[in-house]
Formats: sequence, structure tokens, C-alpha cells
Amino acid sequence: MPNGEAPAAPATVSVPRRPRPNRPLATQLRLRFAASSGQAFLVLLITGFAAMVVAEFASKGVAQAGAQVVNGLQIGAIYALIAVGYTMVYGIIELINFAHGDVFTFGGMLSVWIGAGFGALGLDLTKLATSNVGGLIAALAIIFPLTMLCTGTLGVVIERVAYRRLRNAPRLAPLITAIGMSFLLQGIMFVAAGSGNYPARKDDWITGRAFTIGSVNVSWPQLFVIVIAVAMMLGLQMFVRYTRVGKAMRATAQDRDAALLSGININRTISLTFFIGSAMAAVGGIVYAIYFNLLQWNLGFKFGIIAFTAAVLGGIGNILGAGVGGFLIGLIYAFGSDLAGGEWGNSIIFAMLILVLTLRPNGLLGMRVPDRA
Amino acid sequence: MPDIAAPQAHIDLPDTGTQTRRVESASVFWLLVVAGSLLLPLSWLLPWFVEQTASGKGNSPMDVIVSSPTGIGWFAIWVMGLCMLALFAGVGYDAWAVLTRRGQPFRYGRICAGLAALGALCVLLVVVLVASRTELVFGSTSPDVLIDNAVWMMLTGFVLLAFAYGLRGWVMNHGGLAFTAVAFAIGGLFPLMFNQAPSFVVWGAQSAGIYVLLALGLNVVVGFAGLLDLGYAAFFAIGAYTTASFAGSAHDFHLPFWILIFLGAAVAGLFGAILGFPTLRLRGDYLAIVTLGFGEIVPDLAQNNVLGLTHGPNGLSGIDTPAFPLHGGPLDFGIFGANPRPYYWTTLVLIALVVLLLRNVERSRLGRAWVAIREDEVAASATGINTVTGKLLAFAIGAAVSGFAGAFFAAELQSVTPESFQFAVSVTALTTVVLGGIGNITGVVVGAILVSFVIFWVLPSLQGWMGTLGSNIGVQQLGTIQYSDYKFIVYGLILIGIMLLRPSGLLPSRARKVELETGAESEPLAAVQERA
Repeated sequence: MPNGEAPAAPATVSVPRRPRPNRPLATQLRLRFAASSGQAFLVLLITGFAAMVVAEFASKGVAQAGAQVVNGLQIGAIYALIAVGYTMVYGIIELINFAHGDVFTFGGMLSVWIGAGFGALGLDLTKLATSNVGGLIAALAIIFPLTMLCTGTLGVVIERVAYRRLRNAPRLAPLITAIGMSFLLQGIMFVAAGSGNYPARKDDWITGRAFTIGSVNVSWPQLFVIVIAVAMMLGLQMFVRYTRVGKAMRATAQDRDAALLSGININRTISLTFFIGSAMAAVGGIVYAIYFNLLQWNLGFKFGIIAFTAAVLGGIGNILGAGVGGFLIGLIYAFGSDLAGGEWGNSIIFAMLILVLTLRPNGLLGMRVPDRA
Repeated sequence: MPDIAAPQAHIDLPDTGTQTRRVESASVFWLLVVAGSLLLPLSWLLPWFVEQTASGKGNSPMDVIVSSPTGIGWFAIWVMGLCMLALFAGVGYDAWAVLTRRGQPFRYGRICAGLAALGALCVLLVVVLVASRTELVFGSTSPDVLIDNAVWMMLTGFVLLAFAYGLRGWVMNHGGLAFTAVAFAIGGLFPLMFNQAPSFVVWGAQSAGIYVLLALGLNVVVGFAGLLDLGYAAFFAIGAYTTASFAGSAHDFHLPFWILIFLGAAVAGLFGAILGFPTLRLRGDYLAIVTLGFGEIVPDLAQNNVLGLTHGPNGLSGIDTPAFPLHGGPLDFGIFGANPRPYYWTTLVLIALVVLLLRNVERSRLGRAWVAIREDEVAASATGINTVTGKLLAFAIGAAVSGFAGAFFAAELQSVTPESFQFAVSVTALTTVVLGGIGNITGVVVGAILVSFVIFWVLPSLQGWMGTLGSNIGVQQLGTIQYSDYKFIVYGLILIGIMLLRPSGLLPSRARKVELETGAESEPLAAVQERA
């Protein structure tokens, strides 16, 4: 704690113990709260989640509960893909990239626009994707890299324009530009895509049932989303852990000045972080557009906050944590919506957000100290 | 090597002497001058943008003046036009001299003041002549046609310039006072002047007034105490739902409006303190996200009809019309009617009340404690400032002002729905504070008026104006664009642009300017590479 911590007990007995300062009641309560809140949150989370699972399986039956598990994993996969961007950016420059949720939506929209662009050039991707498996793979192989490249570049441009100049400004300043960036992107999408639902494609690219476990059906689109997300997360984890650039990123996150002294180009590393984070969000956007076939201009606001909750829950700065947090939040969202009614889903997640941030800001796997200005 | 023991000769902090006060108040002077100079050409251009009040040509104000049989209209138009051009030259010269530090600014200040006064007299003469229906002078015309928005804008512009230039020394030394005087004079006369555009008065009462209150309250949290609150709309909602619950058919309570606005403020303030408590150990961005979560939960709860109190997405309607004070007593003025003016003036009174209160709080022991907490919380705590109480009070006071605004808003609209309290409201309030100048009361008032003017008046009306302009100049496409779709882009550009170009806002607060522009934290090594 930054202040008000009790002094360490004196080593020798001869020194008389200083009487404990008579703190105001509010301070005492606060310190007690701070000391026990982390464990309290863990207990709360575990018992709450277990109770949720038990209640779900008991009241809705195995079939529906199993379907909710798959649903939760599928939506959690998308949260995880977005959460990676939050966690990487926060880890490296300690900024909540508020615009990240909108980068996710923008990625989804871009995938649609790129598809439309190919359509204008005479290559109908939807026709190609729905023809056979090879065609589908070809269409995905066109859409994914292009969209990731464009969205990643968008992320780099956002950092260059809005955050780099404010890197040493007070913390409020880049956060405010991040909110501005978020609204700018939302505004652009509002003008481009209209205020209602924006239909992504004429036909679903992926349909059908993949397999059945017991009485639970898993559809191809769900499997597709989960597999893509897990593969991307694992790939990213390997990249950060085993490549030279990944090592540079970790070094910059740990201590920017020391990284600079050891010859790392921190500007390039930060740009790369934004590129990767945005590209991962773009993957989330693409699979969202493929799965739901619908986008909304302000989708990124809700998804961004939920994904940020996931990133904090997993421990901010920790890529693996973002994945775990994403899937966990997805499951909580699915169970909560099923148990309490769909209209309560958001409230549950926001309550979760407040609880995590106030009780255990380090998250489940995190080690970073969040208590900084 | 600097000698460590030697006292530092010069510290780059502005002292509280007259020098910096002049600088701070100079921005008020420039604000008045620029506003006046903008109003003049706008009033001349207005006939091209708004539909003419009667059919056919010859009914726009300028045309009526010019077509007067005696020729006095021509004379007036020429005098006003020449005054305007000469004033432009004067203001332009001063701006050039100040910006480039060449030449001597305000050399022609007295001439400018005289010209502005002459122009204002001219406009007044025309207004009086037409209002007294001197048909010999101006021909037969309805005074309503002439004494319309354009003429009032021109008069306001000339009076502003005359005031700013005539009392330049006083304005520069007493910026806040000068701004308050001008704001209340124009603000008070506003509904009388824009008689022709009642929707403009509605805008003033509902949008500008409410956002000024919200900006004042958010300024306490963000500006004074330095805590970024992104869930500010929640307290607005709490205030509004308090009014809706206790003064209407929804729960069949009928408390008087004048008690309710304070009750709404108290309830919202209580919630502010409750939210503040768990967030005490969070700072900066985590705090912002927690408040954001709170700000999303409150409309969500209202939407889901929590405890059956909020009636879900339809919200609460049938709120009692506010009555004047002493309603039911011996001096009964009745209730507010359909005319927006009483609402407008009530907003003005509420704003005055809040400004007075907040100015005193800012200068009190508590206000100084906020400054200390904002700049270095650990140091503040070490010097014996109770940071817990300070932060909680900042949250509670900010929330109370928001609840105050919300309670009034509900009584004004007579119904509340969860849609009115979305995240966009919080961001609008934040934009107003950032644009006007974080931490400066005058600044945030100006910012709130500007933002609500652009977002809630200009953008929605722009399609009509551009349509008229397009048909006047033959470009029909101008009227087909949905200009209000661009409001999110406007928010984004304001937030980014201000933070990058002028982080302390249009009218900076002295202390915050230093913090935001030089950075309160010590410069890390990495910054050196970026500059090299």
C-alpha cells in the first residue's frame, strides 16, 4: 500500500514499541479491506462460479447447460482475442487503449469491405467460400491476412497519432485521447455502416454440425471460432516467448529505460505491439462477422469493456491470463444470461469488472502492481 | 554542475501575482473579442442559411432595412458594415501583434471601442425605429420580421466588442468577473432576443443549461481532484429517477420541484460517496474503468426495471410540471407552462448557484486539499491531508451537481427513459470539460456551451441550413447529407485535438496548465531518445 501501512515490528525488544497511531475509522476499514480483498475475491469467484455451474446444470438440464458451455467458450474466444490487445498494450505502455474495442469492430467491417472489394474485382468470396472446403480455406486465406494487415496498420497509426506524443504526459492525457480515438472510430463506422445492424454477408460461410458429445451439439462455426482463437493465442504466446522481437517486447514492458540502454528500439517495439494487438482484434472481428453475420457500429464498446474485464481478471500484462480470463468471462456471461435472463448479462459483467478492479486488481495470474497514478 | 545547496534562483511555476492573472484573463478578453467578431459576419450571412420568415424575397432583415423609403436603412447598413470591417482590421492587427510579438497590440483599442459602440447604437436605432412602427421611415413591415435573430446577433457582437475593447484593462485584470457579467447579461436576455426561434431557447434550457451543470460537476472530480470519472451519467440518471419517482404519477408521490432538485442532488451525492469508497485505492485509469462500469450498470438496472421501480425501457413518465416557488401560498405564480422561458431562467439560476458554491469550495481548505491530492497523493497524505475524505467529498460533490442537473432535466422533459443516460452523456460531459479547460470553472462553462451548441444545435440544424444555402446557390446535394451522424467524429476530434495541441483547454486553469503541459512526472530516459 502506498500510505498508511503499519511500520515493521522493531527487531530488538529494548526499543519501546511505538503506540499504534489511532487511525480514523474509515482508514482502518480501508486497510482491513485492502488486506483481505484479494483472497475474498478469489473465494467469491470460485464459489460464485461453482454455484453458477451447479445451478445451471441443475435447473436447465445437461443438454442446455452443455450448449451454454459451448456458447460461453465460443464468445469467450472472441473476448480472449480482444483481451490480448488490451493486455499487451497495458503491459508495455500502461495505457488502457480505449479504442481497442472499436478496432475489433473495425476489423470485422474491414473484412466485409475487403470481401466486397474482391467482389467488385470479379472474385465473389462468398460464392468461393460456400462452394467446398478448399474454397472456404482459400477465402479465409485471402480475408485473414489482408484484414489483419490493414487493422494492424490502423493500430500502429492510432499509436503514432494519438499516444506517442503523450507517452510522458500525465496519465489522464493519453486516456482521454484514447476515448477520443474510440469515438472517432465509432463515428466513422456510424457514418459508413449506419445506425442499425450492418449485415456482413449474404450467406453464412460456415454452417452445419461438427460433432455431438452426449446430448450437446457443437456446430462448425463454434468450433471454428474456438479453434482459431486458441491457435492464435498459442502462436502469440510462442512468438512472445521464443523470438528475438518477443524478447524485446518483454524487456520493454519490464523496464523501458533499461531496454533502451540495451539497444532495443522501443518505438518500433511499441508499434509492433500495437500491430499485433490490433491484428488479433481483427481476427476476433473476422470470426465475429463470420459467426454472427451481423455487425453494429458500437459493438466495440461493449466488447471492449468485457474484454478489458477479461484482461484484468487474467492479470493485465499476461497473454495467457488474457486467454484464461476471456474464456472464463465468456462462460460467466453465458451462464449468467441463461440463469438470470439475457438482459442481465451486461450487468453481471460490469459488476464483475468493478469487483475485479476494486478487490483484486492484479487478477488471477498477474504480478504487476496496479496501484500507480 | 548545478550547485545543489544554492537556492534555485528561478522556478518555472507561475506565481499568483498580477502577471499570470493578466495572462489567464487575457484568454477571457480574446474569447469575448473572437465571439463578437464571429457574431458580426454570421449575422450578415444568416439570411442565406435560414428560411425567410415570409414568402418571397425582400423579407430578410437586411433586405427590409435596405428597402426603407427614406434611405435611412441604406445609411444604417453602410455604417454597420464599415464598422464591422474596421473592427476586423483592428482585431486582426491585435491578434497578429500578440501572436508574432511584433507591433504594438491594442494601439487602436479606443478606436475599436468607439466603432463598436457606434455600430451597436446604429443597430439599436434601427430596432427602436422599427419596433415603434415608424412606417414613414421603414415602410410597412411587421417588426417581427426585422427584429429577428440576425439583428440580435449583430447587436450582441457589437456590444461584446465595445465592452471588451472599452474596458480592456478591467477585463484583463478581472477575467472571471467580466465573463460572469457578460454571460449573465447575454444569458438572461437570450430568450427575449431569440423570440423568433423558440427551439433555440429550448436548446438553451435543455441542452446547454444541463451540460453546463454537468460540466461544472464533472470538473470537480476531474479538474479539481484529478480523478477521471467516466460514469458520470449514472449520477445524472439517479437524480432524474429520483425526481421521476417522487414527483409524478409513477409512484404517486407529489413532492414540490424545489425540494426535489435538492433531494435528487443529495441522493446522487450519497451514491457518489458509496461508489467512491471501494475505488479509493485505485488511481488513474483503473478508477476510470470502474466508474465506467458503474455508469453502465445504472442505466442497465433502470432498463431491467430493478425492484419494479423504474418501469423498464419505457421509463417513468407523467412527471409533475414544476411550479414557481410559493405555489399554493398567498403569492401564487402558478406552474411552468409550455413556454420554455421559465425553464431557461431556472437553469440560469441553478447554474449561478452551483458556480457560486463551487468557486467557494475551490478556494476553501478542501479545494487546496484537492490540489494536493491531484498533484501527489502520497505527499498530500504525508502532510496530514486526509486523502480519503478529500476524494470521497470530490466524488460526492461532483455527483451531487450531476444529480441536481438530472433532477431538473427530468422535471423539464417530464419523462425519463434509460436511453437518456448512455455512455455518450458521460463522454459529452468529459468533452466539454476537456475543451473548456480542465479545472477552470469559466473554461468548462464555455466548453459546455460550445459543445452543446455544435452537437445539439448546429449539427441537427445543419441539414436545413445547408438545404437553404444549397437552393440559394444551386448546389442541391448540400441538403441531402445527414450532418448529425457526424457527432461522434466531432467528439473524437475535439478530445484528440485538444489533448495533443492544447492539453489545458481553451481557457486554461493556471495550475493545471503547468501540470498538463510540462508533465508532473519526472522525465524518463526514454523521452530523451524520442526527442533526439
